[in-house]
Amino acid sequence: MNQEDKLKILKDILLKDEHEYASSIEVKLKKLEDLINKQNNLSKHIDPILEDKLEAFIKEMPKTLGPTITQTLQEEIKNSQDAVVEALYPIMGKMIKKYVQKEIQILSENINKSLNNTFSWASIKRKFRSKKSGVSQGDMIIHDQFKSKIEQIMVIESGSGLIVSEYSKTEGIDQDTVAGMLTAIKSFAQDAFTTQIQNLEYIEYENYHIHLQNFSNYYIAVVISGAFTATFRSKLEDKLLDFAQNIINKTDLENSDIFNTKLKDYFDNENI
Amino acid sequence: MKISKKIVLIGHFGVGKSSLIRRFVENTFTEDYKVTIGVHILKKEVTLPKSNDDITLVIWDLEGNDDITNTRPSYLIGTNGFLYVFDMTRPATYQSLENDLDYIKDRYPNIPLKVIGNKKDLVTNDFIKQNKDVFGRFVDFYTSAKSGTNVDDVFTNLAEAVIKEAKK
Repeated sequence: MNQEDKLKILKDILLKDEHEYASSIEVKLKKLEDLINKQNNLSKHIDPILEDKLEAFIKEMPKTLGPTITQTLQEEIKNSQDAVVEALYPIMGKMIKKYVQKEIQILSENINKSLNNTFSWASIKRKFRSKKSGVSQGDMIIHDQFKSKIEQIMVIESGSGLIVSEYSKTEGIDQDTVAGMLTAIKSFAQDAFTTQIQNLEYIEYENYHIHLQNFSNYYIAVVISGAFTATFRSKLEDKLLDFAQNIINKTDLENSDIFNTKLKDYFDNENI
Repeated sequence: MKISKKIVLIGHFGVGKSSLIRRFVENTFTEDYKVTIGVHILKKEVTLPKSNDDITLVIWDLEGNDDITNTRPSYLIGTNGFLYVFDMTRPATYQSLENDLDYIKDRYPNIPLKVIGNKKDLVTNDFIKQNKDVFGRFVDFYTSAKSGTNVDDVFTNLAEAVIKEAKK
């Protein structure tokens, strides 16, 4: 054994641990290289992390970016009103056109129906009126289509908002709830204007007009469709006053059956 | 002949007035709290078990108020029955109970009034016993809008009292 062999043995003894450590690092490095360089291996580890982060981002996005996006949109809309109008115009235009077409179709059908009923009592009456007044039958039919029509009458106890009596041609609303809400609105208006003398007299709800005629212990709410003209309103007020003064009496307020009958008899013909 | 009666629920904010009504009328409950603004009106037709009378309860759910004197008096006109609701888990909602009840009784004498300790599902029977000085003196019903405990009974009981008062 020469000097060099001895030195090698000594080296092996002294550096054994370092050798093993270096070898293990080499193996780890190889594994890391495989992990990084081979897409399949890398995605196995990174995909779940990315998915979690993405999910969290989607969840948080409305909170973090929402206000900024909203503000940006608001500013953009404000600054580019012409562009917005240009973008919306075709859509809105189509919608309005469709609505108008539908309404005209309904009107046309109603006019046809009226004209087809040539021998009905209404038709004979109309012909007679037309000849007498010089207004064409067509104009009269169109006028009739838009005239005010009483849909519902509710007699409501002031304060409690409970229905005393009601009359309607079509079932469509929950009268008890509506009567309560009307009373609440009236009460609120009275409180807001800090006066007990004035009363809420009119409410508009989409295509309906609600006329409120106030009396001491109760008020009458009349739901009207069609054009609610000043002439119609005046006639309606006269009718309601006449009904209150001459048709019903105090005891009727305590008997809703009698009240209902009187209300129906009086307003059934709708001669307003 | 149809009988309709106006029932009004009053009490502090967030005591569960709307939840009680929703449980009674629609038999539903939600944890989402939506504050009542102004007044919300619902109705339910009930047949009273004792008298067999059919009655429509028009229920006014008033917005909560920490001070009862701030309740709009115009909403209370013509009321046939009151339900005063408080939250058993929040002392602030029943600390002024006695004064509030006196306020109602003074202004609306002879109108049936029932007092409800709500959110029973959140307190123990021991807690109720510990607070018997307040609860025992004034409370008519312990309810839970969440579980539905006693909710129907409260309204039925009040309706019976209202009809009894009307027949006097």
